[in-house]
Amino acid sequence: MNTNSNTYTVIYATVLVVVVAAVLAYVSFTLAPAQEANRQNEVRTQLLASVGIQDVKNAKEAYDKYFTESFLVNSLGEKVDGDAFAVAMNLKGQNDKIRVGRPENATLPVFICTFDDGSKAQVFAAYGAGLWGPIWGYISVDAADMNTVKGAVFDHKGETPGLGAEIAQPWFRENFVGKKIFEGEEFTSVKVVKGGAAADDTHGVDAITGGTITSRALENTLAKWLGIYLPYIQAQKSQVSSCCAHECCGHCGDACACEGEGEGDACGNCCEAADSACCHSAEGGCCGKCKTENSEEVK
Amino acid sequence: MDKEIYKKPLFLTNPVTVLVLGICSSLAVTVQMKGACIMGLSVMIVTGFSSLFASLLRNGIPNRIRIIVQLVIVALFVILIDQFLKAYMYDLSKSLSVYVGLIITNCIIMGRIEAFALGNKPWPSFVDGIANGFGYAMILIVLSFFRELLGSGTIFSIKVIPQSWYDAGYMNNGLMILPPMALILIGVIVWIQRSIQKDLQEK
Amino acid sequence: MEYLNLFVKSVFIDNMIFAYFLGMCSFLAVSKNVKTATGLGIAVTFVILITLPVNYLLDKYVLSAGALSWIGPDFAGIDLSFLSFIIFIAVIAAITQIVEMVVEKFSPSLYSSLGIFLPLIAVNCAVMGASLFMQERAYASVGEATVYALGSGLGWFLAIVAMAAIREKLAYSNVPKPLKGLGITFIMTGLMGMAFMAFMGIQL
Repeated sequence: MNTNSNTYTVIYATVLVVVVAAVLAYVSFTLAPAQEANRQNEVRTQLLASVGIQDVKNAKEAYDKYFTESFLVNSLGEKVDGDAFAVAMNLKGQNDKIRVGRPENATLPVFICTFDDGSKAQVFAAYGAGLWGPIWGYISVDAADMNTVKGAVFDHKGETPGLGAEIAQPWFRENFVGKKIFEGEEFTSVKVVKGGAAADDTHGVDAITGGTITSRALENTLAKWLGIYLPYIQAQKSQVSSCCAHECCGHCGDACACEGEGEGDACGNCCEAADSACCHSAEGGCCGKCKTENSEEVK
Repeated sequence: MDKEIYKKPLFLTNPVTVLVLGICSSLAVTVQMKGACIMGLSVMIVTGFSSLFASLLRNGIPNRIRIIVQLVIVALFVILIDQFLKAYMYDLSKSLSVYVGLIITNCIIMGRIEAFALGNKPWPSFVDGIANGFGYAMILIVLSFFRELLGSGTIFSIKVIPQSWYDAGYMNNGLMILPPMALILIGVIVWIQRSIQKDLQEK
Repeated sequence: MEYLNLFVKSVFIDNMIFAYFLGMCSFLAVSKNVKTATGLGIAVTFVILITLPVNYLLDKYVLSAGALSWIGPDFAGIDLSFLSFIIFIAVIAAITQIVEMVVEKFSPSLYSSLGIFLPLIAVNCAVMGASLFMQERAYASVGEATVYALGSGLGWFLAIVAMAAIREKLAYSNVPKPLKGLGITFIMTGLMGMAFMAFMGIQL
């Protein structure tokens, strides 16, 4: 047979392509569920890490246990129908809407985590462009005040190892714990401060040395996405803080401990409870000695 | 079968240090031993099986589209490995990232198909492929051993440098993790090999 | 500005040779004199520059998950990304073939001095690597992908020409015998890589 003739070459190429494509399609089809499960578990692990639950053996079990509720919100703060987890699997799709200047079309996922002690945290997503490729992550906020960051987790596709890629490292994301996204009533997001944030900076974390562009991109991404969540967050915040509208500790949810029981405070009835729960109560009656930075002068 | 087929590629005609093939895709995976082992194993499988199949098909391949046919055979096995890693070793496939795909352009594979498989029977071709892949894996493992040990103080992610050393002032050599050190280490391996085998020295 | 940033990064910081070791085979084999190195460098840059936008469009409109939705909603669920390696390499091989024919026609001297390495551009890891990195990093537009292609091609060009220049001089130095040729080239590449790492501090 003449293996150099045109007909032979064309037939050979066609048969080869068909055989190879069939084999690949079959394999890809068979392995697709396992690959999909891996990708889902990765998102679950990140969501868990964003509320500080790490090193779980079975991400699916832990996720089902802690994440009791999830839904989508739009840029007006309204809940909309849809599968939050599916959106989290494809944050890029939402980012495309935001990038072309249509954030009002975006529907962003919110996850509510209930801890073992009954306290809750709300998890928000963020996705944007880093230096080389996309960066994304989840940031969780204490549901008791909708202000204090419980934790954060970030990931990236191709940031420079040792520099921008450090955003995925535990040391970087631990910086976020305890930061505030509001100053009073004003939304501040979390800033990434080049050269290191001051020790008393409640809105800033240390930037990565040498990874300034990634750090700045992360800051912008967070501000942009939290900005779209903002109507929702504010609605939640006014709900939790209305119970705290009293003269002494307007900062509901700040670490707030009563001291000096029975000393005859302005409203001593609270201190008998000897915990901070009073700050969340609808009655609002509270002692004058909540121990927060802000309450010192109110005493 | 000639024993030389599988003995030679390990040292005398090692694909990396002697034939200078296949350095391209994979030095970046030698930061950790685990990645290096999986990469080495993947390359072994791909070289072995693509040599085998190329040899089986050797009489039927039209000469004009020879290179493309070879690439398709290689790509087939690489995609299979990539899909497999994504399904069962997800973390690893993420850390190997594009380097799995780059096995396609690993010159060892094409080089062995061109130089050996197209002119030999399937079984020797398979052995030749595996042996060359192994010669390659060996270099990866040696490199990654030194890079991980000196760069992170671990082997297979298990700490081997005792804490007391660190307390006494020992430090991990951060340079080992960076790309240039891989090249310099290979240079040193070539140096050592050629000091022993003088006939490999260049004039 | 973003384009300039990407360009500088891909030439100097994410240099194909010094940071990712891509295209090492021909880099080591063809860097013996500046003239051939320049020729190969240009050919590689050219191939990357053409293949990358083509592969980008293929990836965006044919291969990635849901990419076929432009045909109709029925196609939105199709994910052909498992075919991307094979499609990319086919595009690269085809374009290399064309470049080979063009070089043969217009510069036979270059064609003969590049020899076997011209068809081997098809398996040059730098070309395939650029396509895979493009896919992995999900560049936002064809423009970005093209700038990245030009940058990484020129980075490779720069590396091989610089190395050839050094090796030309090195022929007259007294290198220890076992280190001669391959060994010293590896070590020099490593040292050049360290020098290139100095660019990492650049901020634009």
